[in-house]
Amino acid sequence: MRSAFSKAIVDAATADPKVLLLTGDHGYALFDEFRQRCPAQFINAGIAEQNMVGVAAGLAKAGFKPIVYGLSAFVPVRVLEQIKMDVCYENLPVVFIGDGAGVVYSSLGSSHQSTEDIAMLRPLPNITILSPSDAYEMEYALRHALQFKEPVYVRIGKSDVGGVHQAVPVAPVGDLLPVNIGRNKAMAFVATGSMVNIALGLAQQLDDCAVWSMPTIKPFHAGQLLDIAVSVDNLVVLEEHSIYGGIGGMVSELVAAIPGDKARIVRCGIQDRFSERCGSYTYLMREHQLDESSLLAELKKKLLPPNN
Amino acid sequence: MPEFNSSKLRATVLQMAYAGSTVHIGCAFSIIEIMAVLYRNHLRYPDNDPQAPQRDYLVLSKGHGVMAQYACLHEKGWLPKSDLENYFSDGSRLKGLSDAHVPGCEVTSGSLGHGLSVGTGMALAAKLGKTGQYCYAVVGDGEMNEGPMWEAMLFAKHWALDNLIVIVDENGFQAMGKTAEVMQLGSLQAKFEAFGFEAVTVDGHDEKVLEHALTQLKASKNGAPKAIIAKTVKGKGVSFMENQNIWHYTRLTEDTFGAAMAELEQVK
Repeated sequence: MRSAFSKAIVDAATADPKVLLLTGDHGYALFDEFRQRCPAQFINAGIAEQNMVGVAAGLAKAGFKPIVYGLSAFVPVRVLEQIKMDVCYENLPVVFIGDGAGVVYSSLGSSHQSTEDIAMLRPLPNITILSPSDAYEMEYALRHALQFKEPVYVRIGKSDVGGVHQAVPVAPVGDLLPVNIGRNKAMAFVATGSMVNIALGLAQQLDDCAVWSMPTIKPFHAGQLLDIAVSVDNLVVLEEHSIYGGIGGMVSELVAAIPGDKARIVRCGIQDRFSERCGSYTYLMREHQLDESSLLAELKKKLLPPNN
Repeated sequence: MPEFNSSKLRATVLQMAYAGSTVHIGCAFSIIEIMAVLYRNHLRYPDNDPQAPQRDYLVLSKGHGVMAQYACLHEKGWLPKSDLENYFSDGSRLKGLSDAHVPGCEVTSGSLGHGLSVGTGMALAAKLGKTGQYCYAVVGDGEMNEGPMWEAMLFAKHWALDNLIVIVDENGFQAMGKTAEVMQLGSLQAKFEAFGFEAVTVDGHDEKVLEHALTQLKASKNGAPKAIIAKTVKGKGVSFMENQNIWHYTRLTEDTFGAAMAELEQVK
């Protein structure tokens, strides 16, 4: 997924000298090829993220196409107001890349973990929020983002959990993407980023449930979701993000507005707490009960009759 | 050609403030001469178009003084009188803080410490594109409390943005009192110089001195960004407003409006 990212930005920058890459002193080896092939388009703005976003806004106002890279804990979390006022208010074409979203930096503690970024950005007008689950979705996301038509945030979470798709999706940005059709009407999954892979594993163990990937969080075409919500008993939403304000909250908001019978929404994400301890990514996902076996046990307990 | 007469600009500010029953008069008055000199002699707008891609940039980072800019935009012919007369009326488009949706305003300020970074980005864009454009950033001394100001200064020096000219409106006040009492700034010239700027300190109400400083600094193509520390008086031009921080918050009455206008009339 990260090599798909690197290739896409190098391709964009070699094709258009107006494309600039700004980083807040992060992404050391990730940008080797970019720095080698487009040195004049690489700006290390130093450890000063607020200024970096303001500078990117100024560059965009003057006709450049800035890509602003940072760890998701800093871009967008640290610079929310700059994104709101300097970029979104003017609808400037700045692409934000938030790397290491979720608890990827599992050993570094809460300063480097980002489980609130979706909640912070969703209320900002004009911004597009993309959250790819594998290399193909990354290419899909960047094909849109690198058109530089509006502010875009690309959330990059755990990038090596395995493939989801067999090819680059062709659906319009804003759609849910079917990953597993599923025949079980008791339950369907909607997941984003790293959790799509986990949803696939759960779906197989729960008698073949449908799995939908949500690579676009905003703008979101709600029609598919509402159709799904009236066709199954339970809709399980998975995200490596707080249960507050992420896609679980968003799905709940949308489905709550449907009159009549509809699925119960089960939100699976980071509960309202920080990571207590550190360790491997696998360990921390287990601490937050977002690993496959914890989720399986929880869903069986909550949603299935006792004899299952 | 507009004159950008300082008394006339102040009168426009007063008329807006009275029409809109609004505040922030003192911090608009302290930058009147700065704005007048910039608009009269320095800012280049091809075809008198505030959105011309080749324009120079004026970033009003201390957006609270925006009425001074509106007065200049009116002189430029970009804001009709009706906009000024209907300031703050329901559905009007001119807000109480600098707003980039208004042609001629480059940034949306009010949250301080943003505009200088955006201006730095525009100055960098001009350097990368070799366009010869200048960016003038008018910032407040109180605004210098904000961390991103210093981030932007480091960045501007590192990228050798000698087309960036920061003008600090050092009126000595911020919202809650004197800057010296709220957050001591010390010598701003020394601080800018320590950050690699070429800096001068001038009387911010003396248009000849401001003009000279701008001309000299712009001629200096040495890779150093520029700073003019403009010593100003908050509320300048109306005796009972000068150095009275209450005029950051006070609305005009019929009496105070009349008295202030009468003073400006005498200066004309």
